[in-house]
Amino acid sequence: MISAVRSAGAVVWSRGLARHSWTVGVWLLLSVLLVWYATLIPVFGQFQVTSISKNSLPLVYLAIGQAIIVIAGGIDLSLGGLLLLSNALAARFMEDQPFAMVLLVALLLIAGLALLNALVGYVISISGVPDIVVTLATGYIWSGIALWVLPSPGGGTAPEFRWLFTGAESGIGGTYVMPILMMLVPALVVFFLSRQTRIGLAIYAIGSDDTAARLAGLDVRRAKMASYAIGGALAALAGLATVALTGTGDPRFSVGANATLNSVAAVVLGGIALVGGTGLVLGAVAAGVILIMLNPILSAMGIDPNNAQIIQGLLIAGVMMVGGLVTLLRERSA
Amino acid sequence: MTASRPLLETVNIAKSYGSVVALEAADFAVRRGEIHALLGANGAGKSTLVKILAGVHLADSGELFVDGTPMQFHAPVDAMAVGIGTVFQDPALIPDLTLKQNLQLSEIDEPAFVSWLGWFDLGQLDLDALVHELPLETLRVVDLARALARDPQVLLLDEITAALTADQAERVFALLAHWKELGRAGVLITHRLAEVLRICDRATILRDGRNVALFEPGKEADASNGSSTGTMQDVGEHELVEAMLGAEVREERFEESGSETSASEVRSIADEIAFAARGLSSGEVVRDISFEVRRGEILGLVALEGQGQERLFSLLSGDRRPTAGEIQVGGAQRGWGGPYDAVSDGVVLIPGDRLLSLLPNLPVRQNLVVPLFNRIREWLRIPQDERKRVLNAIDRLSIDTRAASQVRRLSGGNQQKIAIGRWLVAGFRTLLCFDPTRGIDVQTKREIYALLRELAGNGAAILLYTSELAEIQLVCDRVLVMHDGRIVDEQEAARATESTLLTAAHGLEAAV
Repeated sequence: MISAVRSAGAVVWSRGLARHSWTVGVWLLLSVLLVWYATLIPVFGQFQVTSISKNSLPLVYLAIGQAIIVIAGGIDLSLGGLLLLSNALAARFMEDQPFAMVLLVALLLIAGLALLNALVGYVISISGVPDIVVTLATGYIWSGIALWVLPSPGGGTAPEFRWLFTGAESGIGGTYVMPILMMLVPALVVFFLSRQTRIGLAIYAIGSDDTAARLAGLDVRRAKMASYAIGGALAALAGLATVALTGTGDPRFSVGANATLNSVAAVVLGGIALVGGTGLVLGAVAAGVILIMLNPILSAMGIDPNNAQIIQGLLIAGVMMVGGLVTLLRERSA
Repeated sequence: MTASRPLLETVNIAKSYGSVVALEAADFAVRRGEIHALLGANGAGKSTLVKILAGVHLADSGELFVDGTPMQFHAPVDAMAVGIGTVFQDPALIPDLTLKQNLQLSEIDEPAFVSWLGWFDLGQLDLDALVHELPLETLRVVDLARALARDPQVLLLDEITAALTADQAERVFALLAHWKELGRAGVLITHRLAEVLRICDRATILRDGRNVALFEPGKEADASNGSSTGTMQDVGEHELVEAMLGAEVREERFEESGSETSASEVRSIADEIAFAARGLSSGEVVRDISFEVRRGEILGLVALEGQGQERLFSLLSGDRRPTAGEIQVGGAQRGWGGPYDAVSDGVVLIPGDRLLSLLPNLPVRQNLVVPLFNRIREWLRIPQDERKRVLNAIDRLSIDTRAASQVRRLSGGNQQKIAIGRWLVAGFRTLLCFDPTRGIDVQTKREIYALLRELAGNGAAILLYTSELAEIQLVCDRVLVMHDGRIVDEQEAARATESTLLTAAHGLEAAV
């Protein structure tokens, strides 16, 4: 498959860029913001890059998971709840454990939440109840269980585990190698999975037109469950990243609710249409980082952090309108 | 001849959707080496039977045999696995994926697929194109080539010719003949009876969910004069129509209303120009088109696939702005900002894809009254006569409202009637019809012809694009022929035959 892409060469590349111009645009926006931020503050270096990349991890993971589910024609409002659940379980069971045990807990959480969310996908597809309703309900349930597991902020994890996500065993300072690796590896794995494998194509297919997908002989239910499983696994990763970042668990409902909304914002900003079937996972990755970067940029500009949400809303609305305009102009000229 | 087992057979198949009985008891058998037509009016159960044969739906009861073996298909892959290749009425291609990705998804051998495209002269098709970038006509062929690449024993073609040009339809027929020679079979579902008579060996007629007739011309001929070379040609269109419609054959009505409002009479109603295009252009797609439609006139438009007719209609209905030229309504130039303005001027469109214009999840009544909400001052008003107007339209169009709660569950013919009916409710002066009878059964077609003539008789101006050339003589007064974005010919409908129209449509000078 890769050799086929290579042989087609430049034509494929230029067409790929044109087709995914939104994704390219979001990455350009991210680069511009980074450069701008670098000029805004007196010293820009390893510390800032590390800080932005590690703080982006939870949202980026959630955005990737949300992206896959949205591409498959669904939406998952329970991702924040799953994040809380993973976070609470991790903080409780990783506390004072050796690194090997911590890793085992992490892997179990990823696999377990993937299975759990696949089950949610199964329920959605057999019941015919809309995704948004089912996941709204399951989101409350997961958040409630998280509180039950960890009634108040607390718990902990192994220093090596904190290093894995932050590059420093204390979670402070460190180098940007680990956070960037931890961001790019899952992103590229899911991206490759979604674009090059049959299950990835099937996910795009059911989001694009699920009647046509069924008539073409696809197992629509299996593809839907796969998208929810990927979403669950990434929500688990997001919860693990949160434990690694803060060193403790935090089961507050508002944390999960915010995370869910931000994941949807990142997906939209990343050029993934909520109707499904289009867009690239990589767009949501860049959009997730952009949303996290807004805070330091605004504080560097001396703007009250309380106004950050207004700016975030304006940014999303503005980008969507510019994107719409570009599409319109391109259609006109065609 | 030994009575060998049929390649594909259903016995007493029944299927209901909720309270709507789609199939009551259908027996259907396809032999090796034949092309079998499956015919019936809208709602007779053809599409349901196809979906059961293709594994999309599971029958409620009854039996299904492939080569004599009882089968149960739980998913389309099950049917594909035993050699049933289906081309559905709606393309089964994923719009946001490329052709190549669509092939990968359904595990199709690419070289085989491409070589079948070659049969349809599309061997050079760019497999990296996104499906939604390709025209419907091409997608039908792609769908067919994909089914063929699986090398099926039986080909089920549901209304495949409806969206195809005449030359592509010919290639489909040649293909079916080839399939027959291979000792395989084809099932053709079509509303075009001329096709059935020409290429099919037998025909099963469904009515109200039951098989009511089986035409086997070879057998009859065998019995009567000892030859076995009978073809469907011996049956005749009339017999098929009668079997499809049952007791209520309503052929007379259309003929009558057709003659009542003959072209000359209509012209005497008014000579007023209702709608005109002057030098209308849109990039390279539509070039310098001028014509006028008078009140009471039905102006036909004929073109091969992809000559700019879609773009022309989107200009005329205000959906797209022309790059040059103008549209005149009642002699005055109009600059429309969108379909809203066109509708305000009484210019309304019946689009080619009827689901585009309908609200598929809403009931019939709401679909009919949508245009009434056009004016803001009517938002809060409850129109006193709304109910009457709606019932009137339902009655006048004889819309079957059994599945009235959701328009998407109605048959294609009934949906088309609603697309037209809403403008009867709202009122209009110029009607733009884009292939209104595509994929619609005989009876509904006749009703639509009669309705169009009646509307014209009442003073409406109608522009009718059609892919069925026979319709021109039946309903139109004049006909324009479009080729490569331009109007290349104008003919009196009464003298326009399929051959003169086709000649012009290919951009050729008529051989005088």
